[in-house]
Amino acid sequence: MSVIATYQLTKVFPGGVRAVDGVDFEVNAGEIFGFLGPNGAGKTTTSKMVNTLIQPTSGTALISGFDIRKDPGEVRSRIGYVGQDVGVDEYATGRENLTLYGRFYRLGGKTIKQRVNELFELVDLIGYEDKMVSTYSGGMRKRLDIAMGLIHQPDVIFLDEPTVGLDPQTRVHVWDYIRDLAKVMGVTIFLTTHYMEEADHLADRIAIIDRGKIMAIGTPAELKQSISGDAVTLSPGAGKANESQDFISRAEAALSGQAFVIRTQVMDGGLAVYVEHGESAVPEIMRLLSSHGIEVGTISVSRPSLDDVFLKYTGRTIRAEEGTPTTYAEVQRKRSRRQ
Amino acid sequence: MYALADIWYQSVRHLRTQLRMPVWIFVNLFQPMVWLVLFTQVFKSLSDMPGLGGVSYLTFLAPGIVVMTVLFGSAWAGMGLLRDIDMGILSKMLATPVSRVSIILSRVFASMVVLVVQALIILLVAVIMGVDIAAGIPGVLLIIVLVSLLGLGFAAFSNGLAITLKRMEPLIGIINFVALPTVFMSSTMMAPDLLPGWLDTVRHFNPVDYAVVGVRGLVLTGYVWSDLWRSLTVLSGWAALGALFGLLMFRRKGE
Ligand SMILES: Nc1ncnc2c1ncn2[C@@H]1O[C@H](COP(=O)(O)OP(=O)(O)O)[C@@H](O)[C@H]1O
Ligand SMILES: [Mg+2]
Repeated sequence: MSVIATYQLTKVFPGGVRAVDGVDFEVNAGEIFGFLGPNGAGKTTTSKMVNTLIQPTSGTALISGFDIRKDPGEVRSRIGYVGQDVGVDEYATGRENLTLYGRFYRLGGKTIKQRVNELFELVDLIGYEDKMVSTYSGGMRKRLDIAMGLIHQPDVIFLDEPTVGLDPQTRVHVWDYIRDLAKVMGVTIFLTTHYMEEADHLADRIAIIDRGKIMAIGTPAELKQSISGDAVTLSPGAGKANESQDFISRAEAALSGQAFVIRTQVMDGGLAVYVEHGESAVPEIMRLLSSHGIEVGTISVSRPSLDDVFLKYTGRTIRAEEGTPTTYAEVQRKRSRRQ
Repeated sequence: MYALADIWYQSVRHLRTQLRMPVWIFVNLFQPMVWLVLFTQVFKSLSDMPGLGGVSYLTFLAPGIVVMTVLFGSAWAGMGLLRDIDMGILSKMLATPVSRVSIILSRVFASMVVLVVQALIILLVAVIMGVDIAAGIPGVLLIIVLVSLLGLGFAAFSNGLAITLKRMEPLIGIINFVALPTVFMSSTMMAPDLLPGWLDTVRHFNPVDYAVVGVRGLVLTGYVWSDLWRSLTVLSGWAALGALFGLLMFRRKGE
């Protein structure tokens, strides 16, 4: 049985923003399901609806068979929610934070004690149980945050952008914990992210969401296979961004009819050309372009990656969408703006 | 039943947070005493004022200081909830089966515990300074009931406003706008007979005045049951109104 199943889940915010637009997907027991999309795609809104934090405008979802609209209580006792913000209490110790959540989930004092010890070990916070969270680093807080969503041994845990605001090293560290969770606890994981590597690295299956709609679902391998061939990426070069529009249309015209070109894809500032063998196609591409009098600034060859997958299904690269917070300070600043 | 347990565990959390801030304890214990001393000094010449019924201004003012401390303390109660919203603590909590009403009620309860302790300390200091509480020890219990009801109402309103406004600045603005005028539009500082006519009318619509009249009666004269019942009834209504507002706002804006 699927742990999560959504049925035409939709959220229209006051003012008419269709943040989530008829989303259908299923998550199987024990898998890590990656929900990948750029900022503003509707990931958090989807996650919040499924977690009973906001009401869907229409459609619904089942968690372990319980309807989020009819049985929110049953749903809540079966999920762990780890939001985009680190929802831990700084003015309490790690143990106090965890224990309070044990109470919220109606566990007995003995069970709580035992689980708290197990969880501190699982997230590698042994020795910090009775220290104030205000003395924890960003990575430690996130790990405590995750542990708090696990104390009742939920069927599924929701991790919303779990590594935003962490430095690259800590990020890899948190990835390890997430993978351990899946293995050790056998818990199903719903992971929201706008990082390609994160989804690629962790997820058994990925759904690509853009502008509130699911564009593709599959394993990372399946998604990459859906893009045939290598990508040869061309751009007019640095300092010529204002010519890129012209460059793209001319290059596309020159190449799109060619037998060795599988397809072309316009992207921000350049053109991706998909071909069977990237390296051997480059000389041919160069020859064709120069015969049309088109000057190429940069050229690169890459195997299909999730970036290409994303590009194919949304027509944009995820990086161009960013403006994404990368440091803790930026996350704090963003939060203080409270959007 | 779970709701009661939830209120308890969260109240422990709130009280623990406050106890861990030494500056907070210091300010909250000493500020009322500073007021007690300062006000009686500033208004020293008022001791000869008619209408006080022959008691010292300190004795007259002490009940007012108790009520004022409770009012100011409870009016700020919503700030803690704002921090929880801001840090993502509230939405994380709302994804658990925790009782919804317990989130507001635990905050109100924790505020009241603090206010009761503060009120008791002020009374104790007042007694040491020579105030005679006419109603005796049982009277102190009634004083606690009166100010608790007042504080409950204000704390619940403050939390309800916090969840509605979701921002610190407007909440601070409203509290500053409301708190001091409410004190002056009552008989907290001045004997009712000495208030100008319009203020004497306005105070009857002010819950603070009912608390002051009730507490002052217990301190100055003992059990004036007609006044006490009126105060208890009005303040119960005020507390119920505040709780209703707080819970409704929480339900409406909690998402
Ligand atoms: N409370 C809200 N009111 C109005 N619009 C919102 C609200 N929350 C999110 N949105 C809008 O809904 C869209 C999806 O947001 P979100 O789900 O947070 O995206 P993501 O998590 O993928 O970055 C965005 O356009 C965002 O501005
Ligand atoms: Mg988000």
